[in-house]
This record gives sequence, structure tokens and C-alpha cells, in this order.
Amino acid sequence: MRAADRLAARTVRHAGPWPAVLVVGVVGGAVLQLILPYALGKAIETLAAGGAAAASTGGAAAAGDRWLPICGLLVAGVVACEALGVWASGVTGAQASARLRRTVVAQVLGVGPAMTRHHTEGDLITRAGLNAEEVGRAPAAAVTAAGLLVPTVGGLIALALIDPWLPCALAAGLVLITWVLRTFLRDTTEVVGDYQRAQGDIAARLTDTLAGARTIAAAGTADRETGRVLAPLPRLRRHGMRLWRANARAGVRAGLVVPLLEVVVLGVGGWRLSQGDMTIGELYAAARYVVLGAGLSGALGQVGQLGRARAAADRLAGLLSEHPVGHGDRALPTGPGALEFRGVGVDLADRTGLNDISVTIPGGSATAVVGRSGTGKSLLAALAGRLLDPERGTILLDGVPLRELSRAELRRAVGYAFERPVLYSGADGTLADTISLGRPDDPGLDAVRAAARAACADDFVRRLPDGYDTPPANAPMSGGERQRLGLARAILQGERLLILDDATSSLDTVTEQQVSAALTGELGGRTRIIVAHRVTTALRADQVLWIDDGRIRACGRHDELWRDPEYRAVFQTASVPAAGQPAGSFPGQEAV
Amino acid sequence: MSKHGASKNGAHKSGPHKHGEGRHRAGGTPPGAGGAAGAGGAARAGRVPGAGRESVRLVVQTLLSRPRLLLRIAAWSAVEAAPAFVIGLAVAHAIEDGFAAGALRTGLAWLALLAGAWLLAAVGARQVVLAVAAVVEPFRDHLLTRVVAGSVRRAAAEGRPPGTAAVARANLQVELARDALAAVVTVVRSFVFTLAGVVLGMLALAPQVLVLVLPPFLAGLVLFLFSLPALARRQRAFLLADEETAEATGALVGGLRDIAACGAEDRAAADAGRRIDAQAAAGRKLALVTAVRTVALSAGGWAPVVAVLAGLPWLAGQGVGPAVVIGTLTYLTQSLIPAFSGFVEGLGVSAVRLGVALNRALEAAGPEPSPDAVAGPVPALAPPATGGVEVRLSGVTAAYGPHAAPVIDDLDLTVRPGDHLAVVGPSGIGKSTLAALIAGMLTPRAGTVLVGGVPAADVAPAARVLIPQEAYVFRGTVLENLCYLADAPEPVIAEAMAAVGTADLVRRLGGLRAELDPAALSAGERQLVALTRAYLAPAGLTVLDEATCHLDPAAEARAEEAFARRGGTLIVIAHRVSSAVRARRVLLMDGTRVRLGTHEELARTAPLYADLVGRWKPPGRDPEREFVP
Repeated sequence: MRAADRLAARTVRHAGPWPAVLVVGVVGGAVLQLILPYALGKAIETLAAGGAAAASTGGAAAAGDRWLPICGLLVAGVVACEALGVWASGVTGAQASARLRRTVVAQVLGVGPAMTRHHTEGDLITRAGLNAEEVGRAPAAAVTAAGLLVPTVGGLIALALIDPWLPCALAAGLVLITWVLRTFLRDTTEVVGDYQRAQGDIAARLTDTLAGARTIAAAGTADRETGRVLAPLPRLRRHGMRLWRANARAGVRAGLVVPLLEVVVLGVGGWRLSQGDMTIGELYAAARYVVLGAGLSGALGQVGQLGRARAAADRLAGLLSEHPVGHGDRALPTGPGALEFRGVGVDLADRTGLNDISVTIPGGSATAVVGRSGTGKSLLAALAGRLLDPERGTILLDGVPLRELSRAELRRAVGYAFERPVLYSGADGTLADTISLGRPDDPGLDAVRAAARAACADDFVRRLPDGYDTPPANAPMSGGERQRLGLARAILQGERLLILDDATSSLDTVTEQQVSAALTGELGGRTRIIVAHRVTTALRADQVLWIDDGRIRACGRHDELWRDPEYRAVFQTASVPAAGQPAGSFPGQEAV
Repeated sequence: MSKHGASKNGAHKSGPHKHGEGRHRAGGTPPGAGGAAGAGGAARAGRVPGAGRESVRLVVQTLLSRPRLLLRIAAWSAVEAAPAFVIGLAVAHAIEDGFAAGALRTGLAWLALLAGAWLLAAVGARQVVLAVAAVVEPFRDHLLTRVVAGSVRRAAAEGRPPGTAAVARANLQVELARDALAAVVTVVRSFVFTLAGVVLGMLALAPQVLVLVLPPFLAGLVLFLFSLPALARRQRAFLLADEETAEATGALVGGLRDIAACGAEDRAAADAGRRIDAQAAAGRKLALVTAVRTVALSAGGWAPVVAVLAGLPWLAGQGVGPAVVIGTLTYLTQSLIPAFSGFVEGLGVSAVRLGVALNRALEAAGPEPSPDAVAGPVPALAPPATGGVEVRLSGVTAAYGPHAAPVIDDLDLTVRPGDHLAVVGPSGIGKSTLAALIAGMLTPRAGTVLVGGVPAADVAPAARVLIPQEAYVFRGTVLENLCYLADAPEPVIAEAMAAVGTADLVRRLGGLRAELDPAALSAGERQLVALTRAYLAPAGLTVLDEATCHLDPAAEARAEEAFARRGGTLIVIAHRVSSAVRARRVLLMDGTRVRLGTHEELARTAPLYADLVGRWKPPGRDPEREFVP
């Protein structure tokens, strides 16, 4: 928790003069608000006195003159302080949140993909968004909470000073308010749950239905499907009305407490007034102080917000304590792109890691990495281009350990293509930006198109509404088309080493062969590491690296390994089993 | 519209809606079952002209369509505003005639009247909430129905589903719009009735004070109304900036691995940083206009107080005593200022939120279909099922946009009734586009597609069946799923299951009456269900668009042969070459041109086809010999 508090404190320190302005606005406004009822009461009393005096001399108006400008100044002060407080609170929150968000984004990028091993995507988005905002609002919440205590506590004290009976009535009422709020919370959570379940049901039905878009289009059943999706609507309406009724009930209770308190205090005060123990101005002030004093529940809410901000700061601090990936500053010597694993090992918490990986991949060669699912093939691919650092051993590219390379040098040398590439293109990016993501320099459209051609992506990109200028979000793409864009991106980037992690799995045989022909032909000379399930890939590779249970089972040519029935079994279990039929009986059967 | 609405699919799997979970609003506002506000939104507002006008129209329509409800709201609002009328009178008289005059009972009686007014108001408040609910719940239903119908209709029109994140965001926007509408109706009406109550009360108490109270209050109100457009703009800009930041962060987190692999950390950080800075700037501007709003609010609320105080000597001259002044101040501080403050907040924040959320939801829903479109094109007579129908394409060109290169260029093709055609070629060459053209789901840029002599788009859906690669299976019984296209007696269903090869699967699922969970089926099992469904449909034309790709070759052969035996025109978009071997004729698409012929003819004359066939071997042989050169 200490780290979290430090983070919150740092947020306040970096906010410049605004927190100070906020304190002046909030606390100043609160103090003025506290004085105002007293001054108003005094002014009215003077009127009473003046009215009586007017009948005789008319001279007492001078006393009233003194309280009038004071009231005017107090009101002006309250207005100014409130406006100042609102402004400062908004600016402090905006600046602090922005600062925290930038820090979180930098940290997430610095730690890289390892971050997603400890945190889900949704969790990271929540921390960078909502949590950063909560912490950013912490200074304002703290000041506001403190500021609210002034009129609340002050109101109670003022009541006690006017008459000791009054705060007793008020205290009893406050207990009632908290009780009502607690009842309300208990009431609604259950109803809210029912309502959200009905919502979820509709959403799930809609998702199912939308997945069948083509079938529905062909069968002309869109209206029928709409009816099916909306079937839970009456249930939603029913729970919605229950929610409103619960809300109305609680609203009635909460809305009654403060006015009734005020009536009670007016009654008690009126009795004291008729006894001559209280003046008319004091009675007015007392009625106002009741309202101010009842603001305590609001102050409690602010304290609750502070608690949330502290919890949010804790979550941010947890995120910021992760170690970012460090890079060296070495450059690569000229070389063919030879990759060497020396005694490399990684442990994973939930599945098999890798152990004792020692292998040399000659520059310019094509190496197929095969093995059953979950044996560590993708892990090996991640290590080969330093998307992940090994816990043991070293990986060298052309003799230089990957850790010692500068980031720019490393990424210029190594290109990655994935089974499910995420086509990040930044804000307002186009498909051309997507393909050239790995190039800090602008390679130009010709180079982009050449890479796309090599990946067999040029044809379908040109058929899109705006060709290469189409934003990826506006380009509906099949898995195979995404893979081809991912391949183009890798081809444009990796000068020495291309790592294809199951990156052609959704391509048909013809396209896949065209791509691999391009990789060996015009793009030849680059080292290729290809994780694949297909026999043909292994067949075409210069060498096959067979991974089993986190270790290298064998390394050699496909035709040599094929004699081993266990090696053949790797390809049989890799295919998707179909219903009611023995799976993978025909390993060579390929898509057209 | 369509492009933007369906645009955010897939690129970032976890949309910003996910992080709305904790953004609970403060108490006092209507029940937020959605429990989330501020985040989400697929398309940016303002992209679709007319959505704003449409939003206003919809709100006005919602309110005016049920005048009796409005009357109910007004009547209960009047009851709820009782204390606003009574409070000053009661306090003034309690003091003047009661406590100050030594008549304690009179004073207490007036206070009892006030308490009674509050209790009455509580009853009114409850009824108002329920009446407002009776307005906004149908509003939510209407909006949700439009969003669902629009999404389904558009997904069907485009032949592909929008991203699930976009759908979830649209649903969230519907909830936000409902909550915001309730808030706006509540505060606006509360303000109007409270103002009326206060004015009437002052008239009854001492009409002179109105001279002091009304001018500064109206000045403050006008000041606020003038600042409202600027405030709304800022508020809206802030909401949009918030959404954009959430979207940018989502894209960044979702693409973390790819960003690292591309070494694009700096670019990603700069991108996100720009959004974050823009959001902070929007936040600062919003803070400033909010401060101005606070001044307007305070001026309208507190200036009358000062005016009354300054007018004290004049009021005294008019015979207005201190108790009446206290009554007047009570009117101001207890009734008018809280109601005005709620009004300012409601219009400045909730109304803007309503506008933005409603725009989003309507964008997701798309335009409401005109009555003609609902009826659809008059379906031509269904071509006779027996023997199949002829499919004839003449000079057909199809593309996915006015600037896009054509996917199919000047294609002529005739498929005779009862023919069995296989379409082969590399993926992305336009095979599915051809299927969509024949099924009437896509209109060609040029040329005509005739099915049984009728334009494909006008053919009754029941007259042809298209089963796509992604088989559609929904929650319901197995029977409902199988009879989706046409009802059939159980013996016929059993026969179909036996022919297509679904009998084992259905037995495993627990028979025809068993409930089916789509998520529990493998892709191949789903395809079997869809194939059986198509087999049961009495259509003269069946198009299987890679509908067997998740089946193993033996199961695929069995299903295709069943369709071939059944009769009718059969067009198979082939996933494997084996489908072509089984077909009577083969259409080879290779990008530049198409070739039509039998399997043997093409294998002899078309190099690409020979290449495809060359790599294909009949099943059952030793894989080793198959692949070692």
C-alpha cells in the first residue's frame, strides 16, 4: 500500500499549482458557506429591529447596513470559491489522469508481451483507463472530502452553540439516513443482477445469430432471427420495472429524511423562540445548519471515493513494479543471419516450458519447427526473436547475444509473422501503415506493395474499397487474408531472420506454396524459422527441428525423420478431428 | 453507414466496454442497471449526418406518443412540488403567527402542514419515478429492438457478422440512453414545477418579493441557457475523447505482441499519447466551462438572495416583516436553488450524454427500413424443385466498392437444371463471391444472374439453399435446428440424417428433442447439422460454399454424394480437389480467367488444375510415398 500512496502523492506533486487553488476554492467556500446563515440571520434581525425602530426613529437602519454588504461579499465569495474549486478539480483530474495514463502506456510497452502473461487484456485496459482516472481524481476527492467536513462539522457545532437540543435531533436523523442508504444497496444489487442476466441473454443470442449472417441472408430469415434474439425482452422489462420500483422506494425514504429533520429542528427552535431563548435570526440560521449538517452523507461518499482511489493506485503500482525489457546498444556485424541457441531454457507456471535447447540454425536456411500442440514450438519462436527472454542460456544472432543488441537493430533484423496477427496501425492508420509497422523509416508504397505481393496479399488489398488506403477496421478480412498481411509486414521488416509462427495455417495449398516460393526465391538469403503443422512445410524445409515435451527430440531432414512412426504421428494428431470419424487418417489431404 | 457500423471487428478483441464496469454513477440518478457510463462507442459521433436529427425526433416522438403518461407525470409532479409551494408560507406563518406571537400551537400546526406536504411529495415522487419508468422502459425496448433488428439485417445484407465488441458497445449505449433520458425528464420537469410552486407561494406570501427575486433569477437562467451550447459541445468532446483514448489503449494492449515484434513501441506510445493529450485538453476545457456554469448557477440562485437582503428596507416600508423574509429565503435556498442546480446538471451533462449515446445506438441500428423494404421485393414464383433449376450468369462483374478492383470480371456461366458443378481455385479468388451472386445476396456491378429465369435477387429464399462455411447453429432443440428452413415429418428427418451422416451425432446429443448448445459442438458437427438442414429443404438449387471444410474427407464425400443423389441443381464451392472429382463439371477460377469442363478435360488442358490434382492423391495411401519426392 505504501507504493500506492507514494504514487498518489507523486500525482499531487506533479499537478503544479492547481491542487493549491483547489484547496483555496473548496475550503474557502466551505468556511464562507458556514458563516453565511449566521450573517443572513443577523441581517434579518436587524430588519426586525429596524422595522420596529422605523416606527419610532428610523435610526437603526445603520446597523442593518453593516450586515448587508457582509452578506453580499459572502455570497460573492461562495460563488467565486465554488467556481474556482470546480475548475481546479477538473483540471487537476484531467492532468493527473493523463500523466498516469502515459506512464502506464509506457510501462506496458516497455514490459511488452510478458505483461499479458500476468494480466489479461481487459485488466490492462481497465488499469490504463478507469484506474488511472480514479487515481487522477484522488487529489480533488481528498480536498473535497476535507472541505465537506467544514460545513458538516461546523453546522453541528453551530447548532449546538445556538441551542444544545438541536444537534441531538440532527444526530438521530443522520443514523436514519445511513440506515436508509444501506437498505437501498441491499435492495438493488439482487434486482440489478436479474436485469443484467436478461441483458446478457439477449447479447448472447445476438452474438450467436450474427455469427450465422450468411445463412440468415440466404434463407431470408432476418425478421425471425430478430424475434428470437428479443425473446427475453419482456423479462428485461419486468426486471427493469422492479429496479425502478426499488429505486422509487429508496428515493422516497432518502428524500424524506432531511426535510423532516428540518421540520423537527424548526419545531424545537420555534418552541425555544416562543420561550424567548432564541432569536428569529437564530431560528433561520438553525434551519440552514440542519441542511449543511445533513451533508455528512455526501462527505462519507467522498471518503468512499478516496478508498477506491487508493485501491486503484494499488493496482497501478502493481503494474508499474514489473520490470521493463532492457536492450543493449550493440549493432550486428555483417552476416548471413545465423541463429544459435546455447543451453536455453524457460519455465512456465501453467504449462511445459523449454529445456536444454542447443541448436544452430545456419544463415539463409529454412528450418521447420514441428511437434504436437503445447510442446513449446511457439515458445521457441518467441525466444528466437526476443519476444521473450530465456531464464537460462543465450541466443545469438550472427554471434551477438540478442540481449546486447539495440532495440532498433534487433527489430530491423528480425521479422515475425503470427497465426493470428493483430493488424495494429495506430490512430487513423491504413493497410499500408499496417504493413510498414515494422519500419520506423517510411519504406514507400512500392516497397509495401512488393512485400504484399510476396505474401500474396496485393490482389485482395487492391480489391478493397480504398485499396492500400483502407483502414484495417473497415476491411473485413478472413483469417487467411489477415495472415497474408501479417506475412507482408514481416517480409518488409526482417532483413536477416523471418520467424513464421504457424503463419500460413489458414492459407490454401496453392497460396501457401506461392508464399514459400517467394520466401525461398526473390526473398531468399534470409534465415527462416517456420512453425507449422503441415507435412509439406517440413518436407520443403532444409532441416526440421522436432520439439517434444519442451526439448529437442531430433533435428534433421524430413525424409530421414519420417521413418520414425512417432514423428509421423505428430502430423496425424495435428489435424482437426471431425465429428464421428477417426481423426487425421489422411495427413496428406490438403485444402485446395 | 454500413461500413462504419460494422467496422470495429476483430482489430482489438477486448473493446473499451470492458472497462466500464466500475464506473458507477453517484446516487440519486435513476437506476443504472448497466452500471457503466462514459466508455465505449464504435463509431465516432457525427460521422453519420442525420443521426442527430433522428435522435431528437425519436425523443420527441417517445414523449408525445403517450400523452396520457405525460399527463400522469405532470399531475404527480404537481403533487411532488407541494412543498415548493408550502414551505415558505409555512415557515413565515409559523414564526409570524405562531412562535414569535407566543402561539406555539399555531406555529406547530403550520409546521405539521409543512411535514404533511413533504409526505405528500414523497408519494408524488414515487409515482413520478414509476411514470418516468413507464416512458423510458418502452423507449429502451424500442431502441434495443432497432439495434438488434438493424444488426441482424445488416449482417445478413453484408453476409458477415460485425465484431462482438461493436455489438456489446451498442447494447451499452442503449442502456446509457435510457438512463440519460430518465435523468433529463426527471430534472427538467422537477425544475418547471418547483419554479411554478415557488412563484405561486411567493404570490401568496408577499407578491412584492417577486419584484426582487425574479429579475436576477431569470438573468441567471438566461446566462445558463446561453452557455448551454458551449457546455454541451465541451461535454460531448470530452465523452468522445474519452472513448477514443479507451479505443487507442485497447488497440495497443491487444496488439502488444505485434507491436513488440515490429519494434513499434515508440510509434504506439506516440499514438496513444496523442489521444491521451487530446483527452486531457478536452478535460481542461470542460473544467473551464463547468466553472462558468457554476457561476451562472450561483448567480441565478444566490443573486435573488442578495436582492432580497438589499431590498430589506424597501420591503420593511411595504410592511413585509422578518418572518416573511425568512419564508422568502427558505423558498430560495430550500426549493429553487436545489431544483435549478439539478436542472443545470441535467441539461449540461445528462442531455449531452443522451444525445451521444442515442447517436451511437442509432448508428449501430442503421436506418429504419422503409415500409417497402420491410415487405422486400415481391418474391417471384419459386422455381420447381423437381429436377433442379437452371442458373445462368451473363457478363457478370462484381466488386466490393466503387474504387475496388473487380473480384469477378465479365463471367458467363450456365449451369443446367440438375447439374452438379464444383468450383475450384485458390482462396480469395472470388469463389464465395460467385456463391453470393447465385444466391442473390450480392448485386453484380454489371451483367445478370438468372435462377430459373428469374433475377437471383427476386428468387424466393425457399427456392434455393446456400450453406456457408461457418455453419449456423442456434440455442434450441436439435429438431428446431434441423427444420430451420422447412418443416419435415420425423421419418423424413431420419432418412436425411442417415443420408448426410448426422445420425450418430444426433444420437450422441440426445435425440431430436434435446437442447443444443452451439458452443459445445465442434466446427465439423455444426456443419453436419447445417448440411442436414439444407438436405431437408425442398429447394431446386443448393449451393455448398465450403460447407464441408471441417469434415474429414470421408464424411465430406458421404454428404456430397447424398446431395448429388437427392437431385436438384448442386453447386459445390470446393475446399478440396476431391469435391471436383465427384462433380459432373468443374469450374476452375484462377484470377485472370475461368475454365469450365469435366475433371478429366481440365486435368488434361489446364496447368493450374493439373498442378492442384497432381498434389492431391486419393485417400488411403501411405503418406510417406505420397510426399517424399
